[in-house]
Amino acid sequence: MASRAPANQILTANYLTLILAYHTAATGRLLVGFRKWYYNAAGFNKIGLMRDDTIHEDSDVKEALRRLPEKVYNDRMFRLKRALDLSMKQAVMPKEQWTQYEEDVHYLEPYLEEVIRERKEVEEWSKK
Amino acid sequence: MKGIRGISKLSVTKLPSGLMIASLDNYFPASRIGVFVKAGCRYESPENQGVTHLLRLAANLTTKGASAFRICRGVEAVGGSLGVTSSRENMIYSVDCLRDHIDTVMEYLINVTTAPEFRPWEVSDLTPRVKMDKALAAQTPQMGVIEGVHGAAYKNALSNSLYCPDYMVGQVNADHMHNFIQNNFTSARMALVGLGVDHNVLKQVGEQFLNIRSGMGTAGTKAQYRGGEVRVQNGSSLVHSVVVSEGAAVGTDEAMAFSVLQHVLGAGPHVKRGSNPTSKLFQGVAKATADPFDASAFNSNYSDSGLFGVYTISQSAAAGDVIKAAISQVKAVTGGVSEADLTRAKTQLKAEYLMSLESSEGLLDAMGLQALSGGVYHSPEAIAQKIDSVSATDVANAANKFVSGKKSMASSGNLIKTPFVDEI
Repeated sequence: MASRAPANQILTANYLTLILAYHTAATGRLLVGFRKWYYNAAGFNKIGLMRDDTIHEDSDVKEALRRLPEKVYNDRMFRLKRALDLSMKQAVMPKEQWTQYEEDVHYLEPYLEEVIRERKEVEEWSKK
Repeated sequence: MKGIRGISKLSVTKLPSGLMIASLDNYFPASRIGVFVKAGCRYESPENQGVTHLLRLAANLTTKGASAFRICRGVEAVGGSLGVTSSRENMIYSVDCLRDHIDTVMEYLINVTTAPEFRPWEVSDLTPRVKMDKALAAQTPQMGVIEGVHGAAYKNALSNSLYCPDYMVGQVNADHMHNFIQNNFTSARMALVGLGVDHNVLKQVGEQFLNIRSGMGTAGTKAQYRGGEVRVQNGSSLVHSVVVSEGAAVGTDEAMAFSVLQHVLGAGPHVKRGSNPTSKLFQGVAKATADPFDASAFNSNYSDSGLFGVYTISQSAAAGDVIKAAISQVKAVTGGVSEADLTRAKTQLKAEYLMSLESSEGLLDAMGLQALSGGVYHSPEAIAQKIDSVSATDVANAANKFVSGKKSMASSGNLIKTPFVDEI
């Protein structure tokens, strides 16, 4: 995941790396608090995005995006368009509309895991 | 089947769930297993037309036990093959490979027939293959004419096409496929047949894996014959035309009579580039036109109905003469058929049937279809006896049924000189 360094969102990359680093750790109350702080500090929620909207699009992610159900894909496109619009205006959403840590849905994760699993299977077979 | 080249006796078991299991060991080096399901295109409903076409193409898609990639490579790795054939009544999933590796391919077969996942993106990736299939079918006029005559002859069930209709290409989705499998791939309508596989192994597999959907599923509708006509005008100089009337259902004595009649009239050339001297149709039509032509008897039998008639290919200017000459040949048979012709036809029919059993595919198909249609297996000797018991009167009656029955017709080509069904 460290290779997925998006161009401008250094904080987001660090956020993802940290999340994975602490993935197996017990989610004590302190840790959840830290993660919420970090989520808000990363800043993409201010322009109405979710975590999976900001993921760098390499070939695995592109295939996973192709497999999204239509509604989920359309919602993602809307959020991205809205964020681009806000970025152009150098504005952010009103505070009430910022994506909350609890509302964030990792919609791409199952598809991405499946794509990676399939790619690994092909690589395993090619080795034989 | 005992005693022929020392092959083992055919074993048939019916499980409590209704699943039929049949196996035979013909001691070939390659084994073959088939799952036969009564889930052909006649069981499609108006909402899911074309779903069986998609299912035919979806045999290699990801299942709960193996990904699409793994199925393909796994089957290839043992040198086997996995395929699916479907007809109007049945779907047949079959695998074959060398005896030693039959367990591997059997696992894939069971996965494909009982636990397909039909992932939405994999199903939508099938759309180009559907279009390719349809384009290939459109290349052969025979396909269009035969699908057309079924569509014209029946009101329902058997009128469904084997191919996905144009308006459903890209519209059949994973839900349609899951529902069709849920409603039609039930144990009571399936048969697990093996050639060169131990019967107990098949029984175990049948009990463990093929029992997940019990009952009869959605009942099919009885096919209603109506008799209609379909004409496809195009630029082809060759006119393909088939004129049929309602025939006999599978397994009846009448069906046997129709099969013998088919061979009396001529069911295709026996010698390549020969003059087809034993075909009454051919000889009769040759007197009506000097242009190249082909004429053969068309016979198909389904579980509750059948079609019998003549299939002709002719130059567009001579089409009317050819069709009328062919039909008058059938009329001539109603007056009686000579002993020589009858014996000849019976021998040809017996030879055709027995030769079809020579190959593993033919034998598996015969076993599977008999297991599906009643569980009683008729040995080739019994079938040969049934053929012999057809009398000249039976054949004349069959010809009469065609002549007096309501006709259906399908034609394609340049149809300026092709008569309509009421003009024949």
